[in-house]
Amino acid sequence: MKQSIEAIRVIRKKRRSGKNILMAAVIGWFLFLILFPLYGIIKEAFQTGFHLFVSSLITPESRHSFLLTLWITTATVLINTLFGVVLATVLVKQKFRGKLLFEGLVDLPFAISPVVAGFMFIILFGPQGWIGNWFESSGIKIIYAFPGMLIATLFVTMPFVAREVIPVLREFGIQQEEAAFVLGASRWQTFWRVTLPAIKWGLAYGVTLTIARSIGEFGAVLVVSGSIIRKTQTATLHIHQEFTDFNYVGAFSAAIVLALASFFILTLMQRLYKRKEEK
Amino acid sequence: MRKFIIISILLAIGMYGCREKSVQTESDEITLTLGAYTVPKEAYEKEIIPAFQKYWLDKTGQSVKFEESYIASGAQSRAIEGGFEADIAALSLEMDVERLRTAGLITHNWKERPHNGFVTRSVVIIAFRENNPKNIRDWSDLARPDINVLYPNPKTSGGAMWDVLAIYGAGLKLSEEQTGMPDPEAAAQLLKSIQRNVKVMDKSGRASVTTFENGIGDAIVTYENEILLRGIQGREFPYVIPEATILIENPIAVIDRNVDKHQNRDVAEAFVEFTHSPRSQRAFARYGFRPVDQNVAAEFSQSFPQPKYIFDIGYFGGWDVVFETIFGPEGVWTKIIEELGRE
Amino acid sequence: MSNRLFSKNSSRGSDLVLRSLSFFYIGLLLLLPIIAICSEAFKGGLSNLWANIISPQALYSLKLTILTAVIMVVLNVVTGVATAWVLVRYNFPLKNLMNALIDLPFAIPTVVTGIMLVALYGPNSLIGGFLGRRGIEVIFAKPGIILALLYVSFPFVVRTVQPVLHEMEKEMEEAAMTLGAGPFTVFRRIVLPTLMPAVLTGAALSFSRAIGEFGSIVIVSGNIPFKTQVASVYIYGELESYNTQGALGLSVVLLVCSFLILILLNGMQMWSRKHEAVN
Repeated sequence: MKQSIEAIRVIRKKRRSGKNILMAAVIGWFLFLILFPLYGIIKEAFQTGFHLFVSSLITPESRHSFLLTLWITTATVLINTLFGVVLATVLVKQKFRGKLLFEGLVDLPFAISPVVAGFMFIILFGPQGWIGNWFESSGIKIIYAFPGMLIATLFVTMPFVAREVIPVLREFGIQQEEAAFVLGASRWQTFWRVTLPAIKWGLAYGVTLTIARSIGEFGAVLVVSGSIIRKTQTATLHIHQEFTDFNYVGAFSAAIVLALASFFILTLMQRLYKRKEEK
Repeated sequence: MRKFIIISILLAIGMYGCREKSVQTESDEITLTLGAYTVPKEAYEKEIIPAFQKYWLDKTGQSVKFEESYIASGAQSRAIEGGFEADIAALSLEMDVERLRTAGLITHNWKERPHNGFVTRSVVIIAFRENNPKNIRDWSDLARPDINVLYPNPKTSGGAMWDVLAIYGAGLKLSEEQTGMPDPEAAAQLLKSIQRNVKVMDKSGRASVTTFENGIGDAIVTYENEILLRGIQGREFPYVIPEATILIENPIAVIDRNVDKHQNRDVAEAFVEFTHSPRSQRAFARYGFRPVDQNVAAEFSQSFPQPKYIFDIGYFGGWDVVFETIFGPEGVWTKIIEELGRE
Repeated sequence: MSNRLFSKNSSRGSDLVLRSLSFFYIGLLLLLPIIAICSEAFKGGLSNLWANIISPQALYSLKLTILTAVIMVVLNVVTGVATAWVLVRYNFPLKNLMNALIDLPFAIPTVVTGIMLVALYGPNSLIGGFLGRRGIEVIFAKPGIILALLYVSFPFVVRTVQPVLHEMEKEMEEAAMTLGAGPFTVFRRIVLPTLMPAVLTGAALSFSRAIGEFGSIVIVSGNIPFKTQVASVYIYGELESYNTQGALGLSVVLLVCSFLILILLNGMQMWSRKHEAVN
């Protein structure tokens, strides 16, 4: 017994130098890839001073765009969380033919270029579109209006919740659910009381990613919205407009606000996770 | 299950609320939607639209609310065709407006309107760095091996087609002046040697100017109004109007289908007419555009020198021909790209 | 086994409801748009479509896209696993901050990423100029493409590997070490197999994202046909010049590519999991 403890101590000492090298390499990579560009963005935004930073953020166009992003993100999170959990449940628990194929489909939105995605939705939901023309006659606009932008955002964020919940659901195993079941709990009760608490963290992370991605979505929404000022310009489209107008301070300032918003949500997630760990 | 039902109901309510009011019910406020390309944004936003709003209010007591979109010309044209209910289209290329006529959105012959339906003009120029360190004077200098040239991709920027056409057309025009016959071979050679020097093809004219501003490239082929506008905004670049270059003409037109639907035809027509008024033409000139109004053009002749040889899209036979013979799958430019790809 | 237990009660009904909801969701939001692309692509006839796909420019852009994506994925897997390891196993000041910032690339709009990378590494920057004088071009050349892809896909591998690492018990590794195994052997034989499914998932996600990425690449790559033009940019160019068949044809190829890779990786992941259970 004493010998193995001694052996472990020696091994651990040897590993420490390797550990330091690894840490240095990883932190170095992180600084290079993530922090350096972030520093660049911050520098550009404050290039002409704090006052301009603020004044470009409070223009009506800017404020409207942030509000619009907020609406779209909220709606996207609600819808995609619900369907993401349903999807994950079906993929993990149920057996049916073509399940593997189905699962492969879930990741596809990433592979579709946003330009093509936008184009697809115009074919489908434009006024002469396959589905769009029904709505057109009742005066409901989908493309070049809020619903179209929502659909495009739903599309690009679709995989996140499902992807994060599936592995947790699998790992979690069926035993606890079966136990609850045997003890007489209904399907719904089992879900609420047993399943949901267990997948909570995977779900929360998936939701966080959905939020971050919705906030940052650009290509597909650009095509599908028409970028109408103070009407269908999200924060990212507003940033694009600012770049096009050579108003770099405006563009980078808005970018920082977006990054801060996502960062805030991500940190919140981290804190909650830590608290769970401490239990 | 409950959640699903609640969400569906909320969505339905939301969508119902989002539907557009297609008929103006109030008579003392009316909305006009402008679908424009990116470049004239400042001119419209800061001068022409406010001036028109005041003019219309004084004249009829009606206040006009504007909804504006400024995106790339081709994208805007497609958007309008695809359902964006713009009442007025102010685009970069004649072709982009003509498409709307073919699609049935415009039912009048817009080219028979004053000034052939055009509202502004410009020319293609070459801009370079302060003090012209590489001594750039004309197209042939851009073909030198030590020069890095910028212009956007004609495939993604309809407006960028002007740049390529300016070069190719200059080759044709200059050979025509010398020998009496335009020489397509020589023109293609000129275009090829310049294209070879292009290391970055941005997706739009604006993006190109941004790249140039960031220090990339020795020279940029762009429109005069872009450089002038940038100068007004505080970033000046010296430029030269080549000996032979192309005349850019930008159209404006009322979209019949949408104005009939929104019942704001008279305001829309008045706005288009307003853009041709001396007041608006002067505003455009102040933002770097060449006016179509002869008199205003004469006023600003100092700011807008005439190139020695100027040609327009008609010199090539029109946009349809250009689209086929220069940018089509067997087109001159396409072939040049392929040849350069093999080098 | 568990299915039988569930199906005892009238949960068969709710199973079906969930499955139909999933199909509806995936069908409307994913399958329908893909069918729309395919139908538009095939509109002009199969031979026309084929001619477009095998055009030299299209083929080159496809090759470039896949090449850069693969290189990026390999780099991402190595750095992702290393980063996850450092974040889970080690402690250092500001670790939580770094952990939260890992997801930053998801929040930054791609156009901002592009501009930032050009500003930091372009021919006119300190670093870019330095490298340029030594003949190394980053921005407006292939390395720039890989850099942008690395940035936008960075979180994928890290985040899929982290939870698994977290759950792993160190005892097995330490036992192996006392028995004389070097750290690399331990990593290869014990850690890696457990991580493999997560690594493959992260790789699949990175790959999909890479072949669809547009916003940052169009700024960073220079877009010269036959040199630095990737598939998404080529497709955009063809859409803008009304060669819809050509554009959609290549999109379909990309989709199929991505789909196959995803199925392959998902399959490998399933296989991995089965073998891990045995261990």
